[in-house]
Amino acid sequence: MPSALRVENVTAQFGAFKAVDSVSLSVSDGELRVLLGANGAGKTTLMDLISGRIPCAEGDVQVYGRTITNWQEHRIASAGVGRKFQIPSVFRNLSVRKNIEVARCHSQSVFKNLRFRLPAADRRRVDDVLELTGLQDSAEQLAAHLSHGETQWLELGMLVAQDPKVVLLDEPTAGMTQGETSKTAEIIKRLRGDHSIVVIEHDMGFVREIAEVITVMHLGKVIAEGPVEQIEKDPEVRAAYLGSTGIL
Amino acid sequence: MGLERKIQLGAYALFIVALFLVPEFSDEFWLNRASKYLVYGMLGVSIALTWGYAGVLSLGQGLFFGIGAYMLAMSLKLASPTSLAQGSDRPIPDFMLWNAEPDAPVELCCITPGSYLWLPFESVSFGMLMGVLLPAVVAGILGTIVFKKRISGVFISIITLALVLLVRLVVIDLQPLTNGFNGLTDLAFLTIAGFEFDPYSRSTYYLCAASLALVLIAARLLADTRASLILQAIRDDQQRARHLGFNVPMYQTFFFVVSAAIAGYAGMLFVVASEFASPTFMDLSFSVAMVVWAAVGGRSSLLGACIGAIAINWIEAEVSETAALVEAWKAIIGLIFVLVVLFLPRGLGGVAHDLAARLARRQSRKAAAAGTAGAEVKRHA
Repeated sequence: MPSALRVENVTAQFGAFKAVDSVSLSVSDGELRVLLGANGAGKTTLMDLISGRIPCAEGDVQVYGRTITNWQEHRIASAGVGRKFQIPSVFRNLSVRKNIEVARCHSQSVFKNLRFRLPAADRRRVDDVLELTGLQDSAEQLAAHLSHGETQWLELGMLVAQDPKVVLLDEPTAGMTQGETSKTAEIIKRLRGDHSIVVIEHDMGFVREIAEVITVMHLGKVIAEGPVEQIEKDPEVRAAYLGSTGIL
Repeated sequence: MGLERKIQLGAYALFIVALFLVPEFSDEFWLNRASKYLVYGMLGVSIALTWGYAGVLSLGQGLFFGIGAYMLAMSLKLASPTSLAQGSDRPIPDFMLWNAEPDAPVELCCITPGSYLWLPFESVSFGMLMGVLLPAVVAGILGTIVFKKRISGVFISIITLALVLLVRLVVIDLQPLTNGFNGLTDLAFLTIAGFEFDPYSRSTYYLCAASLALVLIAARLLADTRASLILQAIRDDQQRARHLGFNVPMYQTFFFVVSAAIAGYAGMLFVVASEFASPTFMDLSFSVAMVVWAAVGGRSSLLGACIGAIAINWIEAEVSETAALVEAWKAIIGLIFVLVVLFLPRGLGGVAHDLAARLARRQSRKAAAAGTAGAEVKRHA
């Protein structure tokens, strides 16, 4: 079975500067991978490359053996790559339920969506997602009225409804309280198994709770990869990212 | 079905019924005017679709209205008795003779440069078809370019504005082909299957009323589809929509095309009711006026924008013809607009929507209260 997500020697170039410099990464089916790195390491840029927001100057991106390098974003999304943004991005003037319904409309074409309602099975799925994210009581509210944490959960819920094979999560717990963070961890654990997930995260407590394998980036390059314990001991990682004394 | 939805459908039904009752209460002169207001109402719907639902503010909607108007007016011009009395066995518009070179053949094919473009318009059906098709095609091409390039916001407004002014200039400049500044006048009545639509008769009013009802219902149905939901999502956050897998430019272009086709249809009806087509349809002030109507009526409400367009034009006519207000009517219209924008940013439609929502909430609270009261009684019994 091919890797769920395979990134080979991809480079993001802005003028002479390489924000991502020949990075390779392979995430197997059902795996949860954490991307670690200081600010400016190129983590978000790597997600931008995978999801098509910025073009790959070099290299190759594959989803289950299918090359999607430099496709348009909506085609990459249809090929099974879902993405959550660092700054939560939802449809603010639609109700919470409608946000999830939109994510559940599968076809990319306008003509196939000239129908009135989602099929019953999809409507039930929308209810499930509302329950999973704990948003069932605010389902008819505008998304604009949600708190920061709830907005993050809504965006996660939209990903669950979209049901992509590969999920890219950019700092899903940014700005959350302790309680909110552990609920987010719950949601992400529910995603696990059926989906292959790449998470950018800084909260080490959260990382220890969810991570299997960690990839550490520094200045656009991958400098280490391995299980949590091994990464914590790696002298190069400590020097580059954690400072010589370490914060772990 | 929720109470809110019932109120909404009720409002549509009430409005459409009212449309068909108007002739019972008015004379023919007034009916002709009312037909034009209904045409403006249709323009309100077309603006609400692009502005309210797609978030695309077109300041060039007059382009599509104008194209629609000219397409039908060309056919009706050729069908008019004067065009048949120009000394050739096939119809020729009178102005072409005035604009022709002295030795030009008196034939539609070659009397003035480009006059052959008029040939297919001898068929009124062709003119009617083009009145909807050409605006749609122009909008399709424009939309594909603009939306693929991810141009949005004020830049779309500027592009559409520039385009309508450009086409207006071209129409004025091509005098031998379009009668330039004077526009197309002295048109025949529209005749469909032997039935004649006299602009000062009930039939033309009913034609406009039925068309408006049709457009309103079709637009309402379209607005209830998943595609419209996705379009609104795109309006809120294009990037999010793209990463959910939606072909964003396709959605925007589709709704832009539908809106243009409605504006073109409105342009044709206006020609039937007013018996002329002129470059003034593509004046900037007219396109801006449409946006104002939609803003007052409520840009995110199809019916609201439609009623807004009708109401403003009606008020405008009443006020401008009241002797005491003759000097001040423009200021009054301006004041209404400023007040609405300041105090009702979502327009009259927004107010109606809020009222319906409040009513629905109260109803459900009452139902809930009755429910618990019922439970209490049971417990005590």
